[in-house]
Amino acid sequence: MSECLLQASQVGIDFGGLRALRGFDLEVRNGDLKGLIGPNGAGKTTAFNLLTGVYVPTHGEIRMCGERVNGRPPHQINHLGLARTFQNIRLFRVLSALDNVRVACLSEARPLFPRERIAALRRRAGGSSPVASMMDALNNYVDWWRALLLTPGFQEEEQEITRRADELLAVMGLSHRRNEEARNLPYGEQRRLEIARALGTRPRVLLLDEPAAGMNTREKADLMVLIRQLRDQFSLGILVIEHDMKLVMGICEDITVLDHGVTIARGAPEGVRQDPKVIEAYLGDSYLAAHGMPVPPSPSNSTSETPAP
Amino acid sequence: MPAWLRGLVPVLIAIAVLAVLQLLLGHLPFFVYLASIVGVNVILAVSLNIVNGMTGQFSIGHAGFMAVGAYTAGKLSFLLKDVAIAGLPAVVSDQVQFLGTLLAGGAAAAICGFIVGLPSLRLRGDYLAIVTLGFGEIIRVIVQNMEVFGRALGLSGIPQTSSLFAVWFCVFLVVLVARRIVGSTHGRSLWAIREDEVAAEAMGVNTTGYKVRAFVISSFFAGVAGGLFAHFVPIINPGSFTFVKSIEVVVMVVLGGLGSTTGAIVAAVILTLLPEALRTLFLQLGGLGAGVSLAQKVDQIRMPVYGILLVVLMLVRPQGLFGTREVWDLLPRWIPRARKGLT
Repeated sequence: MSECLLQASQVGIDFGGLRALRGFDLEVRNGDLKGLIGPNGAGKTTAFNLLTGVYVPTHGEIRMCGERVNGRPPHQINHLGLARTFQNIRLFRVLSALDNVRVACLSEARPLFPRERIAALRRRAGGSSPVASMMDALNNYVDWWRALLLTPGFQEEEQEITRRADELLAVMGLSHRRNEEARNLPYGEQRRLEIARALGTRPRVLLLDEPAAGMNTREKADLMVLIRQLRDQFSLGILVIEHDMKLVMGICEDITVLDHGVTIARGAPEGVRQDPKVIEAYLGDSYLAAHGMPVPPSPSNSTSETPAP
Repeated sequence: MPAWLRGLVPVLIAIAVLAVLQLLLGHLPFFVYLASIVGVNVILAVSLNIVNGMTGQFSIGHAGFMAVGAYTAGKLSFLLKDVAIAGLPAVVSDQVQFLGTLLAGGAAAAICGFIVGLPSLRLRGDYLAIVTLGFGEIIRVIVQNMEVFGRALGLSGIPQTSSLFAVWFCVFLVVLVARRIVGSTHGRSLWAIREDEVAAEAMGVNTTGYKVRAFVISSFFAGVAGGLFAHFVPIINPGSFTFVKSIEVVVMVVLGGLGSTTGAIVAAVILTLLPEALRTLFLQLGGLGAGVSLAQKVDQIRMPVYGILLVVLMLVRPQGLFGTREVWDLLPRWIPRARKGLT
């Protein structure tokens, strides 16, 4: 089995008195395609925000590539190889499609101190290290001067970034929108641009928050193929939040179901689909009826394990 | 053209052009004075645009940084007045000292920018506005109460070593810096922060770091503008660096279009020359009332005009004169450009 890239163990967060997520476990390995489903308000996006560092977990531990990332700023977690898209599209609206991707294509090369060395220092210090921050600052200082003086090295780097961004646009089928402002793109293309942008950061794990929302049937079918293709082409681990059951059941090999912040089921799509708790909390009897499955004896009233919100 | 030269060509051209202008127009005192005032305001507007326009943060204390630069450079020049650098002709020695004091003024302002920016830019939202507002006032009050800086009377007797060339070369530099930033990874990161801070952070942009850097650069140039200002006006006093001055610069940036360097330049020129134009208009209309001095009248009408201008603009063109566009977007394709979306 490949190494564990992203690992959450017993992660939880309280917002004041509300425990939005508790006891959340997750592992994403290279080549995984996992799903995260549940009714609205179940804590799916909260889980994403915890993993990417937008929120700091109040319980548990998150590790990215073996490194504890609790409390690290999101950009550092991103540098470790975790990228995401957003449920409500968050593109840089006035920037062109190309520039949206180029923002994410930060250069790997640093002028004075290599990124790995800074990362190693941070790892040893267990989070923030003044020396690492100083190196980072010096790197940036030199980098700004290179940009202001338009040095040959800087020009090459810009060309390299542009080349990579163009490549990613091509992969996502957006080359024809290259110079258009992101806000003028149709909805489905905006979603794909978000994925292209996330790929620009050279992720090892990609989190997709409702990538198919607002897409038509045709686009959804294309997206399914695309997600699989991305996983293989960029050798990623992918975690998807999605409400479209056909898509989730179609591509995910492992599904976690959340309800009221609690994990109520986990496993292969077939098993999850027939889990009575999942059916009660999320899928509903009509889903089974529509798929010609037997409706199991209702476990409601008696065995409701989900706590009241 | 070799690659290493590409970065320097504009500078060489600018030096040549400005030297010619200096020779042709440098002896017209009123013109030079006016051009210098315009130049200083352009530097202020373009540098503020880096923070307020490109990065989307809201700073309203630019006059404070200008004051730091003005007083640092002015006081230094004043102290060095009778010192000459050995082995150099007096004129050259003066200019070298002038350059040194300008850099010192800029550096002092940049340090202040760092100190002010670091805590307040960690947060999202309007904290920066409040902190910079406070900073501007603190600087003014400090200067007003310190004997070294001449209290409310201000500093006079600063050697008038500024020239058309010096001011407009600084203008050129700030515009070049703004343009190079926009065309680089750094500029794109700043725009990303302006558009969506959460997304920028998630895409690996160190938002706090970038905001602070943009703020420090902006403060540096405000300090330089102040330093220049101190070397061509006969006297600098706290009255030149009030909150009103800060707002004036903000108005220039908003009027020109948040994020457009071209807009900032055009708006700064218009708003600086507006009082002069109004003055001429007054003279022609014979609007000199008894007992009211001309300067007072112009000053009285300037603020209402600002207000009306802004209201009209916000109704007609909420994005400002230029929006986020630049004049160099319109250049023919063969001219190398450094602009969003085009390569």
